[in-house]
Amino acid sequence: MKTRLRVLRAEKEWTQAQLAEVVGVSRQAIIAIENGKYDPALPLAFKLARAFGKNVEEVFVWEDDSLQEK
Amino acid sequence: MHERLIPTATERSPSHPARIFWVVLVVGTAIDIAAGWLLRQPDYGPHARIIFAVLPIPLNLVLVALIVRRIRQLDEFLRHVHLEAVAIAFLLTGVAVFVYGYLQQALVVHPLNFGIVWIFMVVFYGIGYLIAARHYR
Repeated sequence: MKTRLRVLRAEKEWTQAQLAEVVGVSRQAIIAIENGKYDPALPLAFKLARAFGKNVEEVFVWEDDSLQEK
Repeated sequence: MHERLIPTATERSPSHPARIFWVVLVVGTAIDIAAGWLLRQPDYGPHARIIFAVLPIPLNLVLVALIVRRIRQLDEFLRHVHLEAVAIAFLLTGVAVFVYGYLQQALVVHPLNFGIVWIFMVVFYGIGYLIAARHYR
């Protein structure tokens, strides 16, 4: 799963710590999500999207072709 | 500047749980050591020895409850990391105990002191945490 979190955070000029505080998680969580090392569960994905005033699909992009119809 | 969606850890638990944890840990460890020392003394009867043996249980249970409460306060990512650390510690402790058992059968080492197993778990948990944290960095 790809994420636009880093770009959106830069647009808002938030630090990772500020974003972490906004959504109520650790800074390590934000780092791991931004680096694509950890995919958040739905509630956290929604919180992150809401923090930027976006829909989940605008923040996270699912890139698994195996589920798409051929 | 920006609105917080949920309260911070400090707002959720104003009673300084970290301080309580360390106090319980230090006092509990002192009771553990005292109980071990008392059990090594030959002057006490069987009833007193049973009391000494179960003396550490209450504070250890409080410690377990505090740790469980802390785990429930962690975010999903940190729970994920700690779960991996626990899994690694569990498996490595199993391997270590098996190997030690075989070495014991080969009469290379003394019979296993079960108190050592706890130290294995703590050390392997630390190793597991480092591995998991590094993986997700």
